[in-house]
Amino acid sequence: MRGFQLSLNQTQKLRLQRALEQLESLSSKSNSNASVAVADTIPVNYEDGVLKGHGTLDLDGEVVATLCGVVERVNKLVYIRTLRARYKPETGDIIVGRVTEIAPKRWRLDINFSQDAVLMLSSMNLPDGIQRRRTAVDELNMRSIFEENDIVCAEVRGFQHDGSLHLQARSQKYGKLERGQVLTISPYLVKRRKQHLHYLEEFGVDLILGCNGFIWVGEHVEAKGILIEDQTDKAEQLNTKSSSSTFMSLEEQERTYTSLETRQNICRIANAVRVLANLGFSVTVEVIKETVNLSSSLNLDIHEMLGSEFYVLVAEGEATRKSMFTKKKG
Amino acid sequence: MEFVSPEGLRLDGRRPMEMRQIRGEIGAVAKADGSAFFEMGNTKVIAAVYGPREVENRSQQISDQALVRCEYTMANFSTGDRMRKPKGDRRSTEISLVIRQTMEACILTHLMPRSQIDIFVQVLQADGGTRSACINAATLALADAGIPMRDLVTSCSAGYLNSTPLLDLNYVEDSAGGPDVTVGILPKLDKVTLLQMDAKLPMDIFENVMQLAIEGCKAIANYIREVLLENTKQLEYRRGP
Amino acid sequence: MLQSKSFVRKTKQGKVVKVVREHYLRDDIYCGASICKVCDSSTARLSPSASTILILDTNVVLNQIDLLENPAIDDVVVLSVVLEEVKNKNISVYNRLRTLCSNSMRKFFVFSNEYHKDTYVKQMAGESPNDRNDRAIRVATQWYQSHLGAAARVLLITNDRENKRKATEEGISAETVESYVKALGQPGLLDLLVQPAPEDVGMEEVEDLRPSKRKVIYSEHKPMSEITSGLHRGIYHQGKLRVNRYNPFEAYVGSESIGDEIIIYGRGNMNRAFDGDVVAVELLPQDQWQEEKSLSIADEEDEEEEDVHLVPSSADDAPRNTDLAQGSVGGTKAVLCRPSGRVVGIIKRNWHSYCGSLEPMPMPAGNGGIAHALFVSKDRRIPKIRIQTRQLGNLLDKRIIVAVDSWDCLSRYPSGHYVRTIGEIGDRDTESEVVLIENDINSRPFSLQVLACLPPLPWSVSSEDLANPCRLDLRHVCVFSVDPPGCKDIDDALHCTTLPNGNFEVGVHIADVTNFVHPGTPLDDEAAQRGTSVYLVERRIDMLPKPLTEDICSLRSDVERLAFSVIWEMTPQAEIISTKYTKSIIKSCAALSYIEAQARMDDSRLMDPLTMDLRNMNALAKVMRLRRIERGALTLASAEVKFQIDTETHDPLDIGMYQIREANQMVEEFMLAANVSVAEKILKHFPLCSLLRRHPSPTREMLEPLLRTAAAVGLNLDVSSSKALADSLDHAVGDDPYFNKLIRILATRCMTQAVYFCSGDLSPPEFHHYGLAAPLYTHFTSPIRRYADVIVHRLLAASLGLYKLPTIFQDNAQLTSTADNLNYRHRNAQMAGRASVELHTLIYFRKRPTDTEARIVKIRSNGFIVFVPKYGIEGPVYLTPRGEKGGGEWVVDEQQQKVKKMDGSISYSVLQTVMIHMEVVEPQPNRPKLELALICR
Repeated sequence: MRGFQLSLNQTQKLRLQRALEQLESLSSKSNSNASVAVADTIPVNYEDGVLKGHGTLDLDGEVVATLCGVVERVNKLVYIRTLRARYKPETGDIIVGRVTEIAPKRWRLDINFSQDAVLMLSSMNLPDGIQRRRTAVDELNMRSIFEENDIVCAEVRGFQHDGSLHLQARSQKYGKLERGQVLTISPYLVKRRKQHLHYLEEFGVDLILGCNGFIWVGEHVEAKGILIEDQTDKAEQLNTKSSSSTFMSLEEQERTYTSLETRQNICRIANAVRVLANLGFSVTVEVIKETVNLSSSLNLDIHEMLGSEFYVLVAEGEATRKSMFTKKKG
Repeated sequence: MEFVSPEGLRLDGRRPMEMRQIRGEIGAVAKADGSAFFEMGNTKVIAAVYGPREVENRSQQISDQALVRCEYTMANFSTGDRMRKPKGDRRSTEISLVIRQTMEACILTHLMPRSQIDIFVQVLQADGGTRSACINAATLALADAGIPMRDLVTSCSAGYLNSTPLLDLNYVEDSAGGPDVTVGILPKLDKVTLLQMDAKLPMDIFENVMQLAIEGCKAIANYIREVLLENTKQLEYRRGP
Repeated sequence: MLQSKSFVRKTKQGKVVKVVREHYLRDDIYCGASICKVCDSSTARLSPSASTILILDTNVVLNQIDLLENPAIDDVVVLSVVLEEVKNKNISVYNRLRTLCSNSMRKFFVFSNEYHKDTYVKQMAGESPNDRNDRAIRVATQWYQSHLGAAARVLLITNDRENKRKATEEGISAETVESYVKALGQPGLLDLLVQPAPEDVGMEEVEDLRPSKRKVIYSEHKPMSEITSGLHRGIYHQGKLRVNRYNPFEAYVGSESIGDEIIIYGRGNMNRAFDGDVVAVELLPQDQWQEEKSLSIADEEDEEEEDVHLVPSSADDAPRNTDLAQGSVGGTKAVLCRPSGRVVGIIKRNWHSYCGSLEPMPMPAGNGGIAHALFVSKDRRIPKIRIQTRQLGNLLDKRIIVAVDSWDCLSRYPSGHYVRTIGEIGDRDTESEVVLIENDINSRPFSLQVLACLPPLPWSVSSEDLANPCRLDLRHVCVFSVDPPGCKDIDDALHCTTLPNGNFEVGVHIADVTNFVHPGTPLDDEAAQRGTSVYLVERRIDMLPKPLTEDICSLRSDVERLAFSVIWEMTPQAEIISTKYTKSIIKSCAALSYIEAQARMDDSRLMDPLTMDLRNMNALAKVMRLRRIERGALTLASAEVKFQIDTETHDPLDIGMYQIREANQMVEEFMLAANVSVAEKILKHFPLCSLLRRHPSPTREMLEPLLRTAAAVGLNLDVSSSKALADSLDHAVGDDPYFNKLIRILATRCMTQAVYFCSGDLSPPEFHHYGLAAPLYTHFTSPIRRYADVIVHRLLAASLGLYKLPTIFQDNAQLTSTADNLNYRHRNAQMAGRASVELHTLIYFRKRPTDTEARIVKIRSNGFIVFVPKYGIEGPVYLTPRGEKGGGEWVVDEQQQKVKKMDGSISYSVLQTVMIHMEVVEPQPNRPKLELALICR
C-alpha cells in the first residue's frame, strides 16, 4: 500500500484486506478494464472517428496511453483521466496555494502545478474594496496583503498567452487564510463540485477543498467584515510590526486567539483528511464529516486517529457506505 | 574462473538465460510526486520523482519543454565495505547522465514547458546491474508521478563469460571483467535508447548478447506494466466513482 | 521455478567483509539415472542396468583419483559440493575429475545438489563448513535413495569415519573405499589405492627394513599462517622451485622479492619440495653460502651421476654449472656467489604422476601380498618414490607410472602409489612412450569430432576456389618445393621468374592450412593444444590429422593446391622492390629433395628452366645471406645427427652428422625473408595482437663458459654484439678443420631459445631476434606442423581483409597464454626429439661397441666431458674409477682449463682430441647405459 506504513496486527490486516476487496468488487462492477498503464494500446472504434485527448499518443495508427489512469470516452473524444499526478488546472477551479515569491505587480503561488501560478495585483480585490487603478503605493504595499509562505485561496482565471497560469481573487471569499492547517493530498482525490468552501458550523471550522489537492482546515472567519473592519488596524499593525514585530500586543493576541476546542476540531478534521487521503479514498465534505463523527463516537483522541485501528474502521466504513450507495442506486 | 558449470548452472544457481528475481513497488517516498522501489536480486534501488514543478534556477528554464534532471547516488551502506565516497564522483556523474538521457528520451517533455522534473535514484544495496535497476525504478516512479511518457523504458544487462551469454550479471559475474552490455529499450516502440559496453566483443557474439539483454528488458517491461496496472486499478477502486 | 535464498558468508581479505549472495534453488535438476521415471532422462549418464550407484565423499576423490580413472569404477554420482571442495583443494584432481565426468565412455554424473531445492543444506549455527558439506553429501545420498527407491542401491563411499558413522545412523549405506574395492574382487585395483595416513601399518614395515631411518630427516614445514606473515615481513621468499636437470641436489628458486635466484643445495634444504612446487624459502646466513654446497653433496648417499646425453642445442638444455663460474673469479668469491637458502614451507604442490621404474630389489620372501619398493623416476629431478604393490614380480622389469601421495618428514622418500604400466624396460616402443609421456605430448589418435572437421576426401581444388577473386591463380607458374628426402608434409614451395626489366619475381608459397582449419572448431582446438608436430626418430606425431598433413595441405608435385603466397619483386642484387601477399592456387611442378636440387644446380650441363630458376634463386639467396651476416646474424652450428632406420624393425642402422648443403641454405634464406616480411605486415596492422618470435640477447654471464673455453685455447671472442660475435666466430680458425664448428657449437649452447610472444606484451625494442639480427621475426612458413604459423596465417589474412580476425586476438590474456603454450609445446617437442635420439643412440650402440674420436669440452676434477662429433653425443670420461674422489692423482688447472696428472706426465686440455671407446653396459639389470672410456695412447 502506498504512502504509509501501518503496523497492523493479523486481524486488522484481514479486516482491511476484506474491506478493500469489497471496494474492489464494487468498482469492478461499474467499470472494468478501463485502467491502462503507460504504453498500453487503447481499443477504439476507428469507424466513428477518434479525437485523441489528454494522455494519448498516436503510434502507427494506434491510440497509445502515455499515462497510467482510466480511459474516459466522451463522444469521439478519448482521453485518460490520470490518478496520481500533479494538478491540472481548469478555469474556475477553486484552489489553495502558497505564496512563493512576490514579483512586480504579482505574487507567485505554488499550487502543485508544473509551474507556479501568477496572481496579479490587478486581479485581486484591494483591501479597501474599491475598484481603481493600482498605484505605485499599492505595489509597495503588496507585502501587507500577502507575504511569502502565506496561504491563499483563489480561483483559476486561465492560461495567458505566454503559457503562464493566472489566478484571481475578486471575491471576499478568497484571500489570505490564517489560523488553520493546510494539508497536501493528491489532487485526484478532490472532486470538482459546486461547493469547495465549506463552513462546518458544528465545529466552527472552515474547510476549503482546493481542486489542486491543498486542503485548508482553519478557524471560521466571517467572510465579510474582517478585511474591511480591520483595515485601519491593519495599517497601524503594519507600523507596529515593523517596529516591534516580536511582541504581540494584547489586543492582537486576543484577536488571533483560537479557542482550544476549535483547535482540537481543526486537528480532528485534518487527521480525518489525512486518513482518507492515505487510504486513497476520495475526500468530500460528507466523508470527512462522517469520519470525524466516527472518531468522536468512538471517543478516540485526536492522535489516535492516525493509529492503525482507525484506518481499518474508516476503510470498513467506506466499504459499507459505498455498497449501500450502489444498492440504493441499483 | 568457472562462471558457468558444465551442468549449465551459474554461481548462484541460475541458468545462463535466467534473470534474477525482480520486484517493483510503487510509492516508497510519501513526499515525492512519484516514487518506486525496484529490486533485481540483491540489487535494491529507490527512485523518487519530483515535478513537473517550477524551475529552480530560472536561467535553466526551457521555454518549450521540461528540464529533466537526475541524480544517482549510492548509499554508503550499499556495498559490503562501508566506503564513504565523495558525492559526485565520476562514476555517479556518468550514471546520472546516462539515466537522465535515457529517461529524457521517453518523457514527453514538450507537454510540460518551463517546468523541471527531478529524478533521484539511490542504490540501497548493490549487487551488479545497478544501472539497469535504477532505470527500471525511475520508469516506475515517473509513471507513478503521472508524467506523460512515450513508452516505458526498461533496462537489463547481459554479459559474456566462459563463451556463454549470461543474462543479468550479478556482482561476482560483473567483476569478472568480461564484457557487460547494458541495454535500455522502449518495448512498445521497439527502440533502443541505451546501449553501453566497455569491452571488445566480436560483432556476431555481441548481437547474441544484446539480443539476450533485450529479451530481459522485455520481460522486465511486462512485469513493470503489470505493477503499474495493478497500482492504477487499486487507486481507482479506492477512490470510487 | 526460482526460489531465492540469501545466505551470509564472511570472507577474510585483511578485514572481515560480509558477503551476501543469492542462491537460487531449483526444481529442474535431474538425477541422471536413466531408470528414473520422474526426471528428464535426456541428460542421464548412469547406466540403466546399474544396481549400485556410488556417491563419493570429497576425501575419496582427492586421494583416490587414480582408482576412479580405472574403468572398473562406474555409475558414480559426483555431487557439486564435492566438486567444489575438490576444486578448492587440488585443481589438478578437479580437472581430472571433470574430464572423467565429461567422458562419454564413463558413467559419471554430476548432480548439482547445492542448487536442488530438496538437497540444499543450510549451515547450522556452530557447524563447521566441513561438517556442513558432509551433511550435504549425506542429505543428497538420502535423497537419491528415496528418489530411486528400490530401483537401485545408493552407496556412499567415504573414508571419513565420522561421516560414515553418521551416514549409517541416518540409514544410508556407506562403505570405505578399501572395503568397496575389496568387494569388487579385482586385486589389481588395490594397487591403485592410496595408502591413507602415514600412521598406517604399512609404513612401519618399511621402517623395519631400514631400522636406522626412524628419525626426523627433514625439518617440519612451517604452518601457512607463519609463511604468509614471513613473506609479508620479507623473511621468507616465494618462488617456483626448479631442480637442476643434471644435478638433482641443486635447485633454484626465482624470487621476485630478491630479484635473483636463490640456490638451494641438497635434499635437506630442499625439504621435500618437488620440481615446480611453489615454495617459501628462507635465506641462509651469508657465510654459509659457500660451504653449503660441498657439505650437502657429501651428505647424500646417492652419488652425483652424469649420463651420456645429446649435445645441448641451447642454453636451456645445457647443464647449469656454477662451480666453474665461481672458480674463475678466484679471490672475489664472496661477492659473486649467489644467495643460497632453504625451503621452509610449500605453498603449492606440483605433484603429478611420473614415469620410471622400480629400483631392483629381491623378491620379498613369503608374504605373497604386499611388497614395498622404491620407484626411480626417469626424470632425474624427481626423488625416489616409495610405493606398495601386490604385483612386484610383474613390475620389476617394467616402465610404470607412479603418483605421489605424501611426504612425511620422517621418511627420506615420498610415498606414492602405482598408476599403470607402460611396458618393458628397454623396449623401444615402451621407451618412446615414456619419452612422450615425460614431455606431455599427446600422441592419441584424433577424436571423431576432430576428424569430422576435415573436408570430404578425396579433396581437390573446387570451382569456388578458382572463382574466388581473392585467390590468385598461379597454376601456370613453375613452382617447386625443396625438402628433405621422403618429406610428406610439404608446407612450402618456391618460384622464381625473370621479369622483362631484369628483376626477379620470387614467390614463397605456403600451404593454406587456415582454409581448412577454422577457428573455434574441434580441429583448431586440438591443433592449438598440440601446438606442433613432434618428430621422433622413428615416427612423427602430427599436429593435424593425416589427410591434411600429407595430402590436402601438402604442396605435392603435379597437383593443384591452395597456398598463401608472399611474392617479391627483387633486383638481381636481391633488393626487395615490392612485396605482395595473396592467397593463391599453385601447381607444383617438382618436389625436389635437397640432394636433387643441389645436384641440378651443380650439374652445369642442365639448362632446363627449372634448373635455371634454381640457380637464379641460389644466387639471390647467397646475396641475401651475405647481407644478413653483415647485419650480424650468427651462423650457429648444431651437432644434429641423422639415423638410418631399418624399415622393418625400426632399429637404427647408422648414425651420421646431418649434412647441410647450399640448397638447404637457399630454401632457409627465402623462408626467413618470408617470415620477416609477414612479421612486418601483421605488426603494422595489429600492433597489439600479433604473434611474433623473439630471441633475447644472451647476457655476458651466459656466454661466460664459451669465453673461458676460448680463452684457454688462446682465442679472443668479442661478444659485445651479435655482429661482433659473428665476426670473431668467423675468425676463430684453428689448426684443424673442425675447430671452427666446435666453437660454434659451444656458442650455440650458450644462447637461450627464441620464443613466441604477443606483440602487445612487450615493447618494440624487445621484439629483436638476436640470432637472425632481425628487428622483427615470426613463423609463417610451416603451418602444417606449427600452430604458431596457423595463427600468423590468420593474422595475415585479416590484415589483407580476407577474413575477420578471430575472437582470440581480442583477448590479450588468452593470446599470451596461447603463445606460452606454443613455447611449452615447442620446447617439449624438442626435448622429446632429443630424448628419442638418445634412446636410439643407445639402441644403436647396444650391439656396436665403437672406438671413435672425441673432443674435450669441459674439465672436471676426476675427468672431463667429451663431445663425440660423429654421433652428436656428449658424456663424461672418468680418469679415476668412480667412487674414489679423485683429488689425489689429478689436478685441475682452471685457468688453462687443463687436468694434469700429479707427476705432470699426462695432461688433458679443453678442445683437445682424444680417442674413446663407447660401449653399452648394464651395471644393474634392465638399466643399460652408454659408457665412454678413454683409450690411452
